[in-house]
Amino acid sequence: MIEALIVFLALAVIFGLLLGYAKIKFKVEGNPVADQIDNILPQTQCGQCGFPGCRPYAEALAEGKSEVNLCVPGGHEVMIQISEITHREPKEMDETKAPPDEPMVAVIDEDLCIGCVHCIKACPVDAIVGATKMMHTVIEKECTGCELCVPVCPVDCIDMVPQRPTPQTWHWPEPIANSLERRS
Amino acid sequence: MNALVERKPLKHRLIAWLGKLYPMAKRWLYHFHGGVFPKYHKSLSNRHPLLEDYIPDLLTLPVQQHLGVATEPLVQVGDRVLKYQRIADTNKGLSAPIHAPTSGYVTAIEPRILPHPSGLPGLCILIEPDGEDQAQPLTPAKSPATPQALKKLVHEAGIVGMGGAGFPTFAKIPDQRGCIEHLIINGAECEPFITCDDQLMQHKAQAIWRGAEIVAQSLGIPRVLCGIEDNKSQAIEAMNDALSGLSTASHEQTSFEVHPVATVYPMGGQEQLTQELLHLEIPSDKHAIEVGVLMMNVATLAAIAEAADEGKPLISRYVTVSGMGLEHPFNANVLLGTSFQALAEKASPKTALTYPLIQGGPMMGISMHSNNVPVIKTTNCVLANPPEAVEPAMPCIRCGECMDACPIQLLPQQLYWHSRSHEYDKVKDLSVFDCIECGCCSFVCPSHIPLVQYYRHAKSEIVRIEKEDAAAELAKQRHEFKQARIEKAEKAKKARLQAKKDAVKKQAAGKKPATGAAAAKARAAAAAKKAAAAKTTNQSETSPSEKPAQTAREKAMAAAKARAQKAKNQADNAPNTDSATTSTAEDKRKAAMAAAKKRAKTRQKTETGASPLKASDNAQSESDDKRQRAMNAAKQASKKGESSVSQEAGTKADTTAPTQDKRKAAMEAAKKRAKARQMQQTTPDQTESDQASDTED
Ligand code: SF4
Ligand code: SF4
Ligand code: SF4
Ligand code: SF4
Ligand code: SF4
Repeated sequence: MIEALIVFLALAVIFGLLLGYAKIKFKVEGNPVADQIDNILPQTQCGQCGFPGCRPYAEALAEGKSEVNLCVPGGHEVMIQISEITHREPKEMDETKAPPDEPMVAVIDEDLCIGCVHCIKACPVDAIVGATKMMHTVIEKECTGCELCVPVCPVDCIDMVPQRPTPQTWHWPEPIANSLERRS
Repeated sequence: MNALVERKPLKHRLIAWLGKLYPMAKRWLYHFHGGVFPKYHKSLSNRHPLLEDYIPDLLTLPVQQHLGVATEPLVQVGDRVLKYQRIADTNKGLSAPIHAPTSGYVTAIEPRILPHPSGLPGLCILIEPDGEDQAQPLTPAKSPATPQALKKLVHEAGIVGMGGAGFPTFAKIPDQRGCIEHLIINGAECEPFITCDDQLMQHKAQAIWRGAEIVAQSLGIPRVLCGIEDNKSQAIEAMNDALSGLSTASHEQTSFEVHPVATVYPMGGQEQLTQELLHLEIPSDKHAIEVGVLMMNVATLAAIAEAADEGKPLISRYVTVSGMGLEHPFNANVLLGTSFQALAEKASPKTALTYPLIQGGPMMGISMHSNNVPVIKTTNCVLANPPEAVEPAMPCIRCGECMDACPIQLLPQQLYWHSRSHEYDKVKDLSVFDCIECGCCSFVCPSHIPLVQYYRHAKSEIVRIEKEDAAAELAKQRHEFKQARIEKAEKAKKARLQAKKDAVKKQAAGKKPATGAAAAKARAAAAAKKAAAAKTTNQSETSPSEKPAQTAREKAMAAAKARAQKAKNQADNAPNTDSATTSTAEDKRKAAMAAAKKRAKTRQKTETGASPLKASDNAQSESDDKRQRAMNAAKQASKKGESSVSQEAGTKADTTAPTQDKRKAAMEAAKKRAKARQMQQTTPDQTESDQASDTED
């Protein structure tokens, strides 16, 4: 009886130490669920979810403090993925907010820009270059199309324009499977 | 066919006989996997004479006829251009210049529909030929001796791979001599209907060998092999005959060989022909160059020969105009920019050309969105096949025919399943990017599934997803960077404020009483200054909100000028009316100033009420005032710092100005503080006069 107790006590101590050691040794930095969610968010950093960027929204989701259907640019697809990761009920997106069909980029009308640098401060990804009193320009490659710079411009010189495909960026369409083929 | 039959008569005959029982026995005749045997229809265009010297009414020259970056037009609308004149070029990256195919006038430079599967328009230079065909004098280059000279020659002549993708040829040529062991001349024109390379070999065999000689000599290539499908017996003969035209010296250095190869589709693919001639498989992660093989199309080599010996840039090419819908199909030496429609009309179509023409052959060709697209450097065939009733696609029966036919030994059926269910990562794992889109699998599929279209879509979808992921990652990083920067700036600002506060406290403690009169004067001066500053802000406030734009801009500029003037006037004592302030900063400053003013007023009131000799109090209030100003200055400075950092990415030079401003302001503030302290320590009279001069200059 005593032996058994001692053996189990010893085992308990050993495993306890092992677990404690493992916790320190294999500590996971940050919140893995938040990382996972952050990876599927569109990274537009537009703040339409009510958080200042995608990462804060991901963190709020991971802590269960937020709804799953707030990311507008991500749309239905991202919402489903989020609810899968967080094991929560999918919730329909708000009808009023529809993600744009085409990717958009901001373009500054360089004749109108007065160089007030408001837009630079608003841009979450630093996609605008310019200096005080100088004309500003959007780096098209880096613009996420979040539209945050549009309302802050005092002379309304920022427009969102769709990115038109060129022969270089064009993609082959998917063949339309007829009903016979689809039956397979 | 003679050559091959003579060399391997028994095997050949045996297989021909076996082929009656088992058609796929023909696959034993060559060394790569799969392959198909479509109906060739080559005699359609081959039996007619070559058409030369046809100048159409209009030439449409896209500025991008190659892979890489587009060229930029060097001519303007209305210019007269001469034949061979360079009309578009760029130095922005991988590209090939474009030359005028004949003399004429540039009538427009505008987007036109391109011979591209997307049917999207792209910038084109339109030339209306004047019929004189007046040429610019040509300067024949010396035969290039080094790889660099060859690259330069090929680039300047605007030569691109004329067999298919249009990769600029100079970029394919290695930089060092001796790293290529085999130059393969691709004369295996395996697509049905197309005979332009066949014709070229019959007409310009000499030039092709000469081109090969130039490349071989400049790169030090010991062996040149020309692979020609054995259904082009005339071409084989012509190429064999022309071999004697090469100098004995080059025959000694390099061995030139003609190899008839089996007629099978896709023998003309780079991997397939290499495998057939050298029994060498190019690993999918390597370029042919890395295994010592350079492959060039016959047309490319002929163009290189002309560029070297005559100085002629690439302005025309052999094109097959063929198809079931044409009465008299032909081959032609066509000027680049000639419209498909015009060429097809010349072959007397059987019915009106209301159906889309095809660029390329029936296996890999793409149908055009408009028949009025131009011939470009990579166009080898204009095909007019009237549309046939397409058999509807049926479910896959998993027969495995596609797998047997694939020359790359992929698993077309698996690729199809995963592409259809959008499992693109699996499609990628099945090496969809090794697929050469040859169409063998679709050709043999008994269910008529458009397999290649699925792979094309899957490929572009994978590319799109990867690009999007990369963009999202970039956005994430930039956002995080910005966030970190703001945090840092905030911290720095706090630290600075704290330091200033401490400094002011120390100062106040060390100060000696000053006379009431001096302090009063200083206050009055400060108030005047503030009023002026407030005026400036008001002025600048009104301007941006006004429209229309032109006037808004002008006003803003005027306001800026006025502000600059004011700032200059007060440069010494007013660091906070800096000309480089932003309007938000000004808003804040205005508020701060109003508050400061109010405070000053109330203080004044209490002071006038109290005894005039409350020296310590006065000093305190003055230093308070100063502190307020310093704080404002600091705020602005940090603001400026912030905006200057955000501009860092683009304009580094710009950042120096605001930071310098900031430093100047800080220095000025410090100087003033020191002066004030000094003054308070000296006699009252001196202080008075000093301060007066200080504020009035
Ligand atoms: S709404 Fe905008 S900021 Fe929020 S998660 Fe979606 S993309 Fe990111
Ligand atoms: S430029 Fe405008 S739309 Fe583009 S990322 Fe910046 S704030 Fe958003
Ligand atoms: S907010 Fe408008 S006016 Fe101000 S810098 Fe940006 S684009 Fe120019
Ligand atoms: S050939 Fe067609 S039917 Fe046969 S396995 Fe391939 S895809 Fe399926
Ligand atoms: S198209 Fe691709 S998958 Fe089909 S046979 Fe050709 S290489 Fe193989």
